[in-house]
Amino acid sequence: MPEYIRPYDSAHDFRAQVMIASLIIVITFGALLSKLWKLQLIDSEYFTEMSYSNRTRLIRLPPPRGSITDRNGQILAQNQPNFSLSVIPGELSEYDKVLEVVPSILGITPEKLRTLLLNAASSPKYKHFQIKKNLNMEEVSLLKTRLGDTRGVVIETRPLREYPFGESLCHVIGTMGEISQDDLLKSQKFVYRPGDYVGKTGMEKEYEGYLKGEEGWTQIEIDAKGRQLGSTSKIPPQRGADIALTIDIHLQRYIEEIFIERAGSVVVLDPETGKILALVSKPGFDLNLFSPSISERNWKNLNSDSLHPLENRSIRGLYAPGSTFKMVTALAGLTEGLIRPDTVFECNGELDVSNQTYRCWKQQGHGKVSLHKALVESCDVYFYELGLRLGADRLARYASLFGFGTATGVELSNELPGLVPNSVWKKRNYGAPIKDGDSVTIAIGQGYLLSTPVQMALMTAALASNGTVMKPYLVDRIVSAEGSTIFQNQPVQKWNASINPKYLELIQKSMRDVVEDKSGTGRKSLIPGLHVHAKTGTSQVIREKDRGAEIDQIPYYERTHAMFVAYVNDRPQKIALAVVVEHGGGGGAVAAPIAKKILCKYYGIPENPR
Amino acid sequence: MPYLEINNKLLGPFGKFEWLLWGLSVILTLIGITLIYSATASLGGQEKTFVFKQLAWFCLSLVMLTALVLFDYKFFEQWAYWIFFAVIIALVVVWAIGRVTAGSRRWIDLGLMRFQPSEFAKLAVVLAVSKCLSEKFGSQSIEIVDLGKPAVIILLPALLVLVQPDLGTAIVTVLIGGSVVLFAGPGRRVLAWIFGGTILLSIVLYFFGGKILLDYQKKRIATFLNPDYDPLGSGYHIIQSQIAIGSGGLSGQGFMQGAQNQLMFLPVKHTDFIFTILAEEFGFIGCLLVLSLFAAYLFRGLSIAQKSRDAFGALVSFGCISIIFWHVTINVGMVMGLLPVVGVPLNFMSYGGSSLLCSFIITALVANVKMRRFGYEV
Repeated sequence: MPEYIRPYDSAHDFRAQVMIASLIIVITFGALLSKLWKLQLIDSEYFTEMSYSNRTRLIRLPPPRGSITDRNGQILAQNQPNFSLSVIPGELSEYDKVLEVVPSILGITPEKLRTLLLNAASSPKYKHFQIKKNLNMEEVSLLKTRLGDTRGVVIETRPLREYPFGESLCHVIGTMGEISQDDLLKSQKFVYRPGDYVGKTGMEKEYEGYLKGEEGWTQIEIDAKGRQLGSTSKIPPQRGADIALTIDIHLQRYIEEIFIERAGSVVVLDPETGKILALVSKPGFDLNLFSPSISERNWKNLNSDSLHPLENRSIRGLYAPGSTFKMVTALAGLTEGLIRPDTVFECNGELDVSNQTYRCWKQQGHGKVSLHKALVESCDVYFYELGLRLGADRLARYASLFGFGTATGVELSNELPGLVPNSVWKKRNYGAPIKDGDSVTIAIGQGYLLSTPVQMALMTAALASNGTVMKPYLVDRIVSAEGSTIFQNQPVQKWNASINPKYLELIQKSMRDVVEDKSGTGRKSLIPGLHVHAKTGTSQVIREKDRGAEIDQIPYYERTHAMFVAYVNDRPQKIALAVVVEHGGGGGAVAAPIAKKILCKYYGIPENPR
Repeated sequence: MPYLEINNKLLGPFGKFEWLLWGLSVILTLIGITLIYSATASLGGQEKTFVFKQLAWFCLSLVMLTALVLFDYKFFEQWAYWIFFAVIIALVVVWAIGRVTAGSRRWIDLGLMRFQPSEFAKLAVVLAVSKCLSEKFGSQSIEIVDLGKPAVIILLPALLVLVQPDLGTAIVTVLIGGSVVLFAGPGRRVLAWIFGGTILLSIVLYFFGGKILLDYQKKRIATFLNPDYDPLGSGYHIIQSQIAIGSGGLSGQGFMQGAQNQLMFLPVKHTDFIFTILAEEFGFIGCLLVLSLFAAYLFRGLSIAQKSRDAFGALVSFGCISIIFWHVTINVGMVMGLLPVVGVPLNFMSYGGSSLLCSFIITALVANVKMRRFGYEV
């Protein structure tokens, strides 16, 4: 017998306590039952009467949603009242009247209305059954005068989200939609009800908790005919808070206007703080299509569009950064001591690495190339040589140092991290060690390397602010309905790349000469009187086979992406930007002019002097 | 840990399993799910989701029950303080989260489910107080000094629940802990002290509480008591609930036919006001049946407590059924307007995972005590 067994402890029996407890249970349950008896059998008639005549109802007052504004308080999303017609099947008796009046006002056929009312009759008796949404003011006033006192007919007011700028900044602002079953169950108690509208994407979703506000209640009395006798008490709803973004909507709109190519993205940020001034993703869509709910046809069109207008390319578009990555490769080489500023490589147009030929974009070659010249003229062979010496793992370390390979942490939760390949990754995904050929292509920003436009802008900003990597952000402040600031965002420094200032200076000088030197690849962004630092990039989509062919002879989806990154850091207002034109051709030819226009607009410099 | 060994004799013919309590629990739960279906139908086509969720919790509860009766309840005696400690930590976490989000929070969000520690706190109090008092048995009778430790065990979680803020649940926790202390059978002198103190405190609060407190403080206490159910502060819900119960009459208005139910007069009718739905749709007969089932459950539990093999078993099984007793009394009393509105679920029947799981843990603990009441057989 295990020692923990104790025999029955007869010295302490609980007979007395059990007797008392039984007595208490009998008395309590007796009391409960007698009260039930009184309510249900003695006063039953009275309460049944009450339940029929009692039409006191607790009505929920949905809270007005907060607005979303740009940095200067310009409204980007706000609420407008929207009306809909519903019936309460359990209270509606004058079907003929409804069938006579409603069709002429709303322009629907009596047959269709009859079907709707039949459907209503078979749905829950006391639930509002919607007949038509989005009534205009005229329809509302006509319905109110003719059916205002008909029992069981209600005109519901619901706020409608309005987006004054339509397509502008659509991916950041985001859409709203009816709450899903899942979210409804997950939501805390009953703050949400079926049919409530919640943010589904973008800021509307991320800041739902702030924008939503608090519901109110009113208790109304209705007489036997269904007329409202007025509300007896009321708790007003509380408006949600306003979200002010760091975006400058005028700059944003300007960029959206001048970006006439089919698809791509532009990210503009303040390198000192990480504030995002513009976040363009093309193509976009009109946010008002989603308000209050998007039609099936529009949704199908948007969803099946081969250019994916619903995707936010700025944070979810994955591109090989191409030559814009060469600054990182150069800094890695310098810091690791593999090259000195005056190291020269010979470029004769191609380089053989493990039995494979890697070509420079310039077929005849650049001749003797120093680092400065390699960046200014974007010589590929120089960086092939460097990549070969660095290896993929060391390159990966420096790429991560400039923010590649991890999500930047901007306030949009579906951001993609991109990809910085290293030997561990290659082993895991391909079961093979990383090869020299991989390192060589990574060195010029091709191969497995993938980044988002916002990461490219962040890298540029880090170069502009001497290696400081800031966290990019979109929300500047949140202001409560009473007008007090409940949240003020502060710049956050993620880390400093701690690069030798001498090396940084050399890179910065080279980037300036990309624009200002006669042989620079970024000449098209030259602005007299402004020191633009930049780098072009042309990232290949498929293996090089059609080199030399005219751009219009290559099918759209096989054309190269045009990339351009630039910054200005010697003005009080600093700027860093990245331009990506999908399948646009060459970075210097297509993306640089866009950057030039943005910079001119930002600094108020006329585009074409004279 | 010797207690964890699964005993084959127990698994064998299931001869010693407590089928009566198990059956009562299952019947009450199924009645509850039926009512949840009716109560949520008017929320707009969600009734299936609610019912499926509750069924999922029911299955989980049955698994939990089976697991808990497999090993000796001595295990709980050994771990009682640790379980109590874990619940205290969970309560502190909830309090901290509530502070961060600047709102009243009663649960920990685990993603898939929402864990409401204040439900489990009541069970932990029962376990810890039972262990603490059962250690006194066999030596001398319980003296006033012996009540220090139980008092701390009861008041600490009660305070943590109080700051959530949820005065109602805090009071229920104290009532449950107090029941266990009284059941342990303190001597006459101690009893006199306890009753005297309670009566004195009640008198002071009753006569002077109104004078000491300012108006806004009274209001705050009122909202402490009923944070959710009375948004307009006019007794609206209790009146509506009484109308619903009264209009049920002798045999009720029929399943899914309650006018008050379908009119959505209560935001929490499928949780704490589930008894109202029962009363409206199944009338006095339905209520009588459910209350009889609960009474049968309580009496069965009492008889198990009386016949248990040791003091800990008796105290735990009594504590467990005292949870059910207080919940049923307060909940049913509340919906009829006899008692103030307090956030107490109706065991087995109210919608909610934590509450259902707790109810079945209670059944499991009492069944466990019954199955092992002849110590030598094990």
